[in-house]
Amino acid sequence: MTLARSKCEETEVTTKSPLTEIRSKPLPADTHTCWSCGSMRAAHFCDSCGKVQPPVPVDYFTFFGLPPKLKIDVPALEKSFYELSRKLHPDLNARAGSQEQEWSMEQSSLLNDAYRTLKDPIKRTAYLLHSEGVELEEQSKSATEQARATGEAKKQIVPPDLLEEVFELNMQLEELRMNKKAGEDDPSLAKEISGHKVTLEAKHDALLQELQKYWTDWDSLIERNHGSKAPAEERANITAKMVDVLNRRNYIRNLLRDVNAALES
Amino acid sequence: MSYSDKVIDHYNNPRNVGSMDKSSNDVGTGLVGAPECGDVMKLQIKVNRETNVIEDAKFKTFGCGSAIASSSLATEWVKGKTVDEALAIKNMDIVKELSLPPVKIHCSVLAEDAIRAAIGDWKKKQGVHTPVAAEAK
Repeated sequence: MTLARSKCEETEVTTKSPLTEIRSKPLPADTHTCWSCGSMRAAHFCDSCGKVQPPVPVDYFTFFGLPPKLKIDVPALEKSFYELSRKLHPDLNARAGSQEQEWSMEQSSLLNDAYRTLKDPIKRTAYLLHSEGVELEEQSKSATEQARATGEAKKQIVPPDLLEEVFELNMQLEELRMNKKAGEDDPSLAKEISGHKVTLEAKHDALLQELQKYWTDWDSLIERNHGSKAPAEERANITAKMVDVLNRRNYIRNLLRDVNAALES
Repeated sequence: MSYSDKVIDHYNNPRNVGSMDKSSNDVGTGLVGAPECGDVMKLQIKVNRETNVIEDAKFKTFGCGSAIASSSLATEWVKGKTVDEALAIKNMDIVKELSLPPVKIHCSVLAEDAIRAAIGDWKKKQGVHTPVAAEAK
């Protein structure tokens, strides 16, 4: 910290916050000493002197001081995001030393990534699955390898009737697009596809609700094991169900996108 | 990411697009999907009962250029092969032929899955229940 101290003197004029009294209460384990003023700091910037701290490699939940749970208070997350943005933004640290500016840049970009990921229900789930070591591509690849070894047809990751539905609807969409291209109107086909759209939207909503059910399962597992890691088997049970929902949702989402595009074109 | 010339060629001029009578006893149908991207691929083969040679193959794929190219190439490759020879086609052969980048490898996997699914369906129709790919190792 000696090196940092000398820097602190150089940039003292830019320091906004006055030194606060040294806290006597026990500090959380992840608290560090500020490189600049030597005071104990919060994760992203110093509570005492306000200086940006070097980024620590943490997951997105920890970045926001949250437990790895899936039900998130999004407005509170947004508030926290704006508060941190104001302190970490490179523009606000433009007069700081070059090292601090660099940290400010890294911290800001980490903040943006973390916020964008956590505020979105699907991205948040995918992020958790990823950090649980679930690789969607690997899953499909290993099913193919198993099929090769046993000589059986590959076990499809989504139900066959869903694939059938996706295929048939895609055929209709193609027909609609080709008709439109040829300048022919087919109101009955367009009407039929509009009907599918309603069904698909309902399916999409149902999948999100199903996903939220597994969020509850996950969160209560985390709560039951407060702090310590829940048993791998129990975690895998829940993540497998979430993977299944996300896989099915991918098809529905693509169909909805294509249906909307075909109807609007 | 840019597509290789071969992918573009297959994408612009897909070979063997179409469908065959699913209920025919000589036709095997494979419908597979890649959940990562939501693509679906249908591949059908028509097999000569005497020789086990695949006489015709058709496909229809809804997906990206690489998925279309992979299935188009797969139909070209299986034609004229026996079912057992066709089972020896590996996704990495497709990757090499089309110079697919790593992010598009799953498209080639999909094509391999489709071939095996189509052959599996055909074998089922012939009343064969023994494993079909032991020779393909």
